[in-house]
Amino acid sequence: MSKSYLEEYEAGYTPKLVMEEASRCLLCHDAPCSKACPAGTDPAKFIRSVRFRNFKGAAETVRINNVLGAICARVCPTERYCQQGCSRSGIDKPIDIGRIQRYITDFEDACKMKILEVKKPNGKRVAVVGSGPAGLATAGLLAQDGYKVEVYEKEAKAGGYLRYGIPEYRLPSAVVDREVKRIKDLGVEFKLGEKVEDLAKLQEEYDAVVVAVGHGAGKVLPIFAGKRFVKTAVNFLKDAKRKKGNLKLPDNVLVIGGGDVAMDTVTTLKLLGVKQVTDVVYETFEEFKASKKELQGAQEQGVSIIDGYVPVSLKGKTVKFEHRFIKNELKVKADLIILAVGQYTEAGLLGLDVNKAQEVEGVSGNLFVAGDIAKGEKTVVYAVRSAKETAYAVKKYLGGK
Amino acid sequence: MVKKDLSITFLGVKFPNPFCLSSSPVGNDYDMCKKAYDVGWGGIVFKTIGPKSYVINEVSPRFDKLDKEAEPFVGFKNMEQIAEHSLEENLADLARLKKEYPDKVLIASIMGNDDETWEDLARKVTEAGADMIEMNLSCPQMTSHAMGSDVGSNPELCKKYCQAVKRGSKLPMMAKMTPNITDMVEVAKACLEGGADGIAAINTIKSICNIDLDKKIGMPIVNGKSSISGYSGKAVKPVALRFIQQMRTGIPGVEISGIGGCETWEDAAEFILVGAKTIQVTTGIMQYGYRIVEDMCNGLMHYMEEQHVDHLEDLVGLANKNIIPAEELDRDYIVYPEIDKEKCVGCGRCYISCYDGAHQAMEWDEETRRPTCNHDKCVGCLLCGHVCPVGAIDKGEIVFKKTAKPGRKIKDIRL
Repeated sequence: MSKSYLEEYEAGYTPKLVMEEASRCLLCHDAPCSKACPAGTDPAKFIRSVRFRNFKGAAETVRINNVLGAICARVCPTERYCQQGCSRSGIDKPIDIGRIQRYITDFEDACKMKILEVKKPNGKRVAVVGSGPAGLATAGLLAQDGYKVEVYEKEAKAGGYLRYGIPEYRLPSAVVDREVKRIKDLGVEFKLGEKVEDLAKLQEEYDAVVVAVGHGAGKVLPIFAGKRFVKTAVNFLKDAKRKKGNLKLPDNVLVIGGGDVAMDTVTTLKLLGVKQVTDVVYETFEEFKASKKELQGAQEQGVSIIDGYVPVSLKGKTVKFEHRFIKNELKVKADLIILAVGQYTEAGLLGLDVNKAQEVEGVSGNLFVAGDIAKGEKTVVYAVRSAKETAYAVKKYLGGK
Repeated sequence: MVKKDLSITFLGVKFPNPFCLSSSPVGNDYDMCKKAYDVGWGGIVFKTIGPKSYVINEVSPRFDKLDKEAEPFVGFKNMEQIAEHSLEENLADLARLKKEYPDKVLIASIMGNDDETWEDLARKVTEAGADMIEMNLSCPQMTSHAMGSDVGSNPELCKKYCQAVKRGSKLPMMAKMTPNITDMVEVAKACLEGGADGIAAINTIKSICNIDLDKKIGMPIVNGKSSISGYSGKAVKPVALRFIQQMRTGIPGVEISGIGGCETWEDAAEFILVGAKTIQVTTGIMQYGYRIVEDMCNGLMHYMEEQHVDHLEDLVGLANKNIIPAEELDRDYIVYPEIDKEKCVGCGRCYISCYDGAHQAMEWDEETRRPTCNHDKCVGCLLCGHVCPVGAIDKGEIVFKKTAKPGRKIKDIRL
């Protein structure tokens, strides 16, 4: 596990170790891993390529199936998807698919492979709003098919939550840079620092518009509204990433929430030197939402995690919690409180009826959505899946093949 | 996505790619061969068709394998003989396959037991539509001594049967060699004199894979007994490469179909570099299925791209000139190991192997748990580098021996 915020917490495989791990793979005939990947990355095929020492072929499989292959390799909660059905679990433990994928995409970078190709321009222009995983993937897919794609991003750099959310130790900015560059190399143009406010205008200007704004805003529970010492996890993680971990933090921080964002928050706090990090979680461990790997990472850093409690009131800087199932109260006083209790989208600001926008196809006319605001889970791998569906819908709408 | 032309012409026949099923259980009937073609194999050597009079009656079980540590199938032992289907069924399958896959290569493997049967089989498979004939002179587990490797180790008999096959068919023909012999060149030459157009090598090596320690019987056990039979798989690759190299240097320009332990594109590239034009595979398929051809083809294409080669042909035999007799090697220098202390995990395996298996040159610091090499003792064998589990030991400093010819320069040494 990592020792510092800026250092990737898991070492990559060496050539020998990746062979060992690939050799553990049973090379299933009917591989559950490939069926379970929402993005269709086809791990069974790329692991087999590694087993037969065809690393470049493996890289082709990853990249062609998953335009954000190097990112998914690092951040995907594989235990919930590809690794869940891994046949090897019947013997000991599943294949570490993410780490094999990471080796492959690192290899791809080391060999300077350029796998994705662009078809002849078809003269059609598509605007993508938002450059998070769904926006990047949609842009990359459409660009390969010859569309002229322009991505609007309100921040100064592309990447959305990948850039400003997922901590450096889990997803180094350099990796995001490389993946964004791959998309750029396909001819995608990024309009950075440009906040879209008038969707209708874009719809007139372009043949199609894809709204891929994520759930970028953190929720605030009513009892904490307006308090100076309360922050959302989204804002905290963004600050940490922007300032490369150079934050002034008190010695005693309370985090509320138990998803992957909460685990990222508590682990980041510890890595940035906060002595006491207490995480109070609504779910009990039985129902825990965060991936085991993230939970384990937080525990290894020495975070105090308390499960099954709901915050009921705030007095000064002391939060009172009640247990959901047993009669018990818990009071925690902290100098900083960070809320990781869910996220929502500000797409409403665009005049988009978010609730109606869930369907990928034709929200209205040439307007499409992808990623968090479309149907489906809110993970990077789902964003890639959603991007594939949206790109397909856009192509169909524009009469492409 | 890499795209390279893998086609190659062998004995005048164009193969879409060099990968073929070898004559064995993996190409036993129409359905199997159809699947293999569909997955991407460029050619198929259909399981050996024998004379009508020879009745096949196989044992059960019939395989065994050699493992090493956690690695199964380092080598594979097989007791199957030749096709068990009737001659009529086999010929019908050949005809159907050729009709449905005109662009793929179909090779009929045949095995007679006298001049007449060799000639007759050659005629029949030609009429069925085969593109090429392979003479099986080499199966080591036949129940008749007039067939298989007993024939293949007798040059006169090989020549005679090659002539018989050539009387029966004008198709290009290759003779498949047994490795259970000291000098393959002599047999290969006899076959070429008899009319063979090329050579396929190697068939399996006579073996005993394992002995059941409780029962004191070789494996596999057939009602309390076992037999010597053919060994194949990754473990035999070095033997196959050696025989091919010897034929390429002993019979200049000979065209060869390489067989023996090819599992990956790297193995295939090695066969090509020592002079094989096509590569035949069985054991890899028995273990992993026809699908392994996907990574063989794709990996080979990437290799061609790296080598800036557009035609596979251009790689054939490139290593032949770089494999020379031991007495001609440069014996003037020592290359010392270089230890990367960053990579070293302090396991001490290099120290143990150097002490027990080499020249006690690796010294071990018990405090830091790191090795250092004493150049006074080191002979530059580099066993240490082979046992290092993390690849921390590489070739380092080059030093000329006192006995070296004067005036030699380090920059001229190619490591």
